[in-house]
Amino acid sequence: MPTNALQVASTGLEAQGHRMQVIANNLANVGTSGFKRDRANFATLAYQDARVAGQRSSAQTAYATGLNLGTGVALQSTSQIVTQGTLNMTDQPYDLALDGNGYFQVERPDGGLVYTRAGNFSLSADGQLVTQQGFAVQPTITVPEGTTGVAIAPDGTVTAMLPGQAEPSEVGQLQVAQFVNPAGLRAIGDNFLQETAASGPAQLAAGGEQGRGNIRQGMLEQSNVNIVEELVAMIECQRAYEINSKMVSAVDNMLQNANQTLGR
Amino acid sequence: MDRLIYTALSGMRASMDQQRVTASNMANAQTIGFRAEELDRRPVTLRGEALEVRAMQQGEVRGADMRGGEVFGTGNPLDVALNGEAMLAVQAPDGSEAYTRRGDLRIDASGMLMNGEGLLVLGADGPISVPPGGQPQLSADGAVTVRDPAQPLAPATEVGRLKLASPAGSQVLKGLDGLFRVVGGGVLPADEQATIVTGSLEQSNVNTSQVLVEMIDAQRLYAMRSKLIATAGDIDESGASLMRLS
Repeated sequence: MPTNALQVASTGLEAQGHRMQVIANNLANVGTSGFKRDRANFATLAYQDARVAGQRSSAQTAYATGLNLGTGVALQSTSQIVTQGTLNMTDQPYDLALDGNGYFQVERPDGGLVYTRAGNFSLSADGQLVTQQGFAVQPTITVPEGTTGVAIAPDGTVTAMLPGQAEPSEVGQLQVAQFVNPAGLRAIGDNFLQETAASGPAQLAAGGEQGRGNIRQGMLEQSNVNIVEELVAMIECQRAYEINSKMVSAVDNMLQNANQTLGR
Repeated sequence: MDRLIYTALSGMRASMDQQRVTASNMANAQTIGFRAEELDRRPVTLRGEALEVRAMQQGEVRGADMRGGEVFGTGNPLDVALNGEAMLAVQAPDGSEAYTRRGDLRIDASGMLMNGEGLLVLGADGPISVPPGGQPQLSADGAVTVRDPAQPLAPATEVGRLKLASPAGSQVLKGLDGLFRVVGGGVLPADEQATIVTGSLEQSNVNTSQVLVEMIDAQRLYAMRSKLIATAGDIDESGASLMRLS
């Protein structure tokens, strides 16, 4: 299989091309609140046995080692790097950030539950706490009309001054979801993540409990993309791509040479 | 026709194999913990009645370059880079114990500790599991401790210790799955002195400039060897024209 070196080099090109897509996506989301950057993981592809150790090299002798040729590389997976992003003050009462582990739980119109760290919520026409798309935050928090001074405690307790009352009263309790393997959550766009078999089921509790982060009102978490780091990765990826394309042209050159010299 | 062309052909084949090994190394220049493979070339002299002037070229991947790759920080607490020659013991898909330098670890949904390839990481007594909800932490000697989030003031408990195997004194070979195993079977002893760096990963040890040189080398050799075949054809041609009665 003479052209195999070509195929091996092309796996390198393809993997680096995919990695560039991951880096580009990270850079594009540098300003997305609650965004967690992805890392591309490479894995070597299977090896092929061109010759197995112990195969006969002559009537009396056998090869001591096999001839194993690698078949290149593949992008195996992308994993979310779930480090904390910086918290920014916004002073909006319904901007919430998680200071630590966990996710807010949101219900989509089709009834499916999704999770997010982007806490830029607002109130709907009927006083419900919703995301920018209008999806209700779970458990639902409804703020009655005419209330003033909504306060959300670090553990998620929502209190408000109801009209005609001197004392603040509790209007709901937010919960924070936690997963065994948060890196296994599937990103589905719109800052939402979905539970998978790899992430394990969501476990809900009040903020600050059992390793969950505290809820901070009036703050937003920025993305954890580090621009400098991504740019370095981008240059690295570009060079790796270049070097693999050199290999493609080198093998091409070899085959061309064989054709010209021998094909007279 | 002279047998020279077969000798040259074996060389062309070896050059193409060399190029393939180089291409594979190049493609894996950014695979975590990858060890570059080395092709070993040797002449195989054909013995017989005739003059011994025919030496075929034969190449084989003899092993891997075991030099360490560069360590870079990732800030991810479950990423580990191994110091020195130590290797991480993992459970291969066939259930046997194999070794790798790839230390991008994670916890799966059932709480098992595995590396980026999805292989279970082995401790002194089998795979390591982390109780649900616990926050695992790794220390420099490979101990995996878990802090119970319900009791933030309680000291972290040790749930296992990564088996950091020492390849010193044993022969390890890279198998077809890219994992290292002891030649002839068996397991490596755990090295009590081995340490890890947490929050870092080890890059592949492929040296790109060296790989480029190897690539050009193989390319030019291939051209020379194909030239040999062409020359052998010319020699035959002139021999035949001498014998022609005209």
